[in-house]
Amino acid sequence: MDKILEIENVSKHYAGHTALDNVSLDIPRGQVYGLLGPNGAGKTTLIRIINHITAPDSGSVMFNGHRLSQNDVANIGYLPEERGLYKKMKVGEQALFFARLKGLSNRDAQIKLRQWFDRFEITSWWNKKVEELSKGMAQKVQFIITVLHEPELLIFDEPFSGFDPINANLLKNEILALRDKGATVIFSTHNMSSVEAVCDNITLINKSRNILTGNVAEIRQQMGANRYRIAVTNPPQQLLQGVDAMIEEHRIEKTDGDTTTLILRVNPGVTRRELLRAANEAADVTLFSPALPSMDEVFISTVEKFNSEHK
Amino acid sequence: MSKIGIVIAREYKERVSKKSFIITTLLVPLLFIGLSILPALLMAIHESDTTTYAVIDRSGIVMPQLEDTSSLHFVAVEDSLQSAKQNSDYDGVLVIGADIVSNPSEVTLLNHSAANMDGEMAIRSQIKKAVETERLKAYNLENLKEIIKEVEADVTITTYRIDEKDGTDSSALPSEISFAIGLGVAFILYMFLIIYGQMVMTSIIEEKNNRVLEIVVSSVKPEQLMMGKICGIGLVAITQVAIWVLLIAAGIFLLLPALMPADVMTEVAAYNSGQFDAATAINDPYMVSTMAQLTQVGFLLKIFGYLTLFLIGGFFLYSSIFAAIGSAVDNIQDASQLQTVAMLPFILAIAFATMVGSDPGSSMSMWLSMIPFISPIVMMVRVPFDIPAWQIWTSLALLYATFFFMVWFAAKIYRVGIFMYGKKPTIKELIKWARYK
Repeated sequence: MDKILEIENVSKHYAGHTALDNVSLDIPRGQVYGLLGPNGAGKTTLIRIINHITAPDSGSVMFNGHRLSQNDVANIGYLPEERGLYKKMKVGEQALFFARLKGLSNRDAQIKLRQWFDRFEITSWWNKKVEELSKGMAQKVQFIITVLHEPELLIFDEPFSGFDPINANLLKNEILALRDKGATVIFSTHNMSSVEAVCDNITLINKSRNILTGNVAEIRQQMGANRYRIAVTNPPQQLLQGVDAMIEEHRIEKTDGDTTTLILRVNPGVTRRELLRAANEAADVTLFSPALPSMDEVFISTVEKFNSEHK
Repeated sequence: MSKIGIVIAREYKERVSKKSFIITTLLVPLLFIGLSILPALLMAIHESDTTTYAVIDRSGIVMPQLEDTSSLHFVAVEDSLQSAKQNSDYDGVLVIGADIVSNPSEVTLLNHSAANMDGEMAIRSQIKKAVETERLKAYNLENLKEIIKEVEADVTITTYRIDEKDGTDSSALPSEISFAIGLGVAFILYMFLIIYGQMVMTSIIEEKNNRVLEIVVSSVKPEQLMMGKICGIGLVAITQVAIWVLLIAAGIFLLLPALMPADVMTEVAAYNSGQFDAATAINDPYMVSTMAQLTQVGFLLKIFGYLTLFLIGGFFLYSSIFAAIGSAVDNIQDASQLQTVAMLPFILAIAFATMVGSDPGSSMSMWLSMIPFISPIVMMVRVPFDIPAWQIWTSLALLYATFFFMVWFAAKIYRVGIFMYGKKPTIKELIKWARYK
C-alpha cells in the first residue's frame, strides 16, 4: 500500500501533561482518513506535528518516504478548527497573501483564485474587507485558501462546523472531488455520521494514545459480530424470554406502536439460524438483520472501554 | 520573495496605508511646530497690554530715572493718594517714600486689577537701580556713568573641542544646547521604542485571538512570522523617522535662512568658515555659534545616523521582548503585568538621562551608556556632546549582541506561547517554554 504519511512512535510532552504517547499510524495515499477522538485527546497536537508547526519530542514522521521537513508544507493544506482571517484585510488580497506563503507565484495565485471565486460564485467579495463577511462566507474563503495550492495532503479539522446543511454538502462534495483527483485527506471531526459517509480508514486517539486504527467497514463488521437487530410486534419480554439463554446483552432501540426494535448481542458460537429459529418461536418477527454498530457507537464503546481499563 | 519577505510586505503595507499612520506622520511635526511657536505667540499678544501707573514720588529721586517699557508706563502725579486711586486713567498707583535711599522698603504698589509678577519685578529692579545710583553718588566719584559702563561685563563663552589628532580645534555646541538636543532625541527614541514595541505586542495578541495565527503558521515557521512582523513594523518606524528627518531638514535648510535676518546668516557662514570674530560681531556670538552648529550637515548626519542605529538596535531588543509577552497572553489586560517588567529599564533610562546629560564625560555616564537595555536612550543623550566614537560603537556592539540573543530567546517562547490559551503564564513558565523542543 502506498503511504503518503508514516507516523512512528511519536510522543510529545508539555509541562505536566503528555499530549501524544507513542502514537503510530500510516496514512494511505488517495483516501479520506478520519482522525477521531474526544476533546483534548491529542488530535490537534498530532495535526500540528504533521504540519511541521511543532516538533515531536521523539519518534519520526515520514512524508512521501522522506523525513518531514519545512519544505513539505507547500504540499500540505490545513484548515484548522479554530480559524480566523485578518479582519481589516481585503478578501482577495488576503487570499493572495496566503497563496504566496504556500509558494505560488503572484500570477498563478491570481489565476487560481479567480477560478475558485467564480466556482463558489463569490467574485464580488474580492474587494470586501473580511470583517464585512458573515461567518459562513469567511469559511468559504478559508476553504479556498486551504486547497488553492493543490496540495497532496489536505487536513480538515471540523470543516463543517458553522456551515448550513446546503453549504456543508457543497463542501463535502468538494472534498470528495479533491480526493478523486488524487489528494489525500485527513479529516478530523466529532460528527460520526460524516465519518461513515466519507472516510475509508480511521484512527481513534484517546488520552494521547492510538486506541483503534483500521478500515471503517472492517471495524464495524468486527464490532458488529454477534449483533442483530430484530423487530417484533409482541411485547418484547416475550421475545427475550425465548432467546434468554442465547444472548449476552440486549437493548431496546425504539418502540413504534406495536413494533419494538431491539439490538441483541448473542453468546459466541450461537449462529444466526439458531437465533432466528428461537425468535420465531417466541414472537412475531417483522425484521431480522445483522446490526452493524454506527461509528458513534464504535467511538463511545471503544473510548469507554479504554477509559475503564486505564483508570 | 522569501516567506519572511511576504510577511514583512503584508505587515508594512497594512500599517503604512492606514489613515492613522498618514495623519500622525504629518500631524506630529505640525503639532511640534505649533507647540514651539505658541508660547512666543502668546507672549506677543500679552506684551501689547500696557499697564499705566500713577507715580507719587515723595523722594523726587526715583521718578526721573523710571523708564517706560513696552508693558509699563509711568506718569508722575502731584495728586493725593486718594485722588490718584480714584482716577480711572491709571491701572495702579506706585508710592515711593521720601526716605527711599536710606530705607529701600518704603515702596507701595496699589493695583486695581490682580497683581502682576512680571510688572512687579521690572518696577523693583528699576527702583533698585535708581537707589543704587543715588547711593553711589554719595561717594562723589567723578565720571561715575563712564566707570559703570566700563565695569559692566557681558560674558559669552565660545566653546571648542580640542582635536587631538590634527591639532585644529573644532567648534562645539554650547553644553546646554547639546543637553537639550540629547534629551530631545532620547525622548523621541523612548516614545518610538514604546509605541512600536507595543504595536508588535498588540498585533500578536490580535492574531492569536483572531485565530488567524494557526493558518499562518501552517505555511510559515512561527519564528519567521515573528521576525517578519518585527521587521515589518520596524520598517514602518523607520519610514516615519525618515519622513520626519526630511521635514526637519527642509525646515532647517529652507525655512530657517528665509526667516532669519540676513546678517545672522552671513555671520553663521563666517563662523563655519572660521572667520568669525566675536568682538566685532553684530549679533550675539552665542546665538551665532549655536546656529552654525545646528545647521552643519555633518552634525545633523551624526545625530540622525546614530539615532537610526540605536533605534534599530533598541527596537529589535524591546520588540522581541514585547513579542514574547504578546505570544504568551490572551489579551492586553493579562499583558500589563509582564509589560511592567519589560518597561522597567525604560523608566530607569529616563531617570538616568538628565544626570548623564549634565555630565556626559563622567565615567558613571560612560558605564551607564554601555548597558544594553538602557544604552539606546542613555547613549543618545551623550551623542550630541563630543564623546569618543569608540564608546558609541562599543555600546552599539553590545546592544546588537544582546538583541540577537533576545530575538533568539523570544522566538523560542513565541513558538510555544502562541498555542497556549487560558491561564496567564508567569515569567518562570516563559523560561520553561523556551526549553521545549
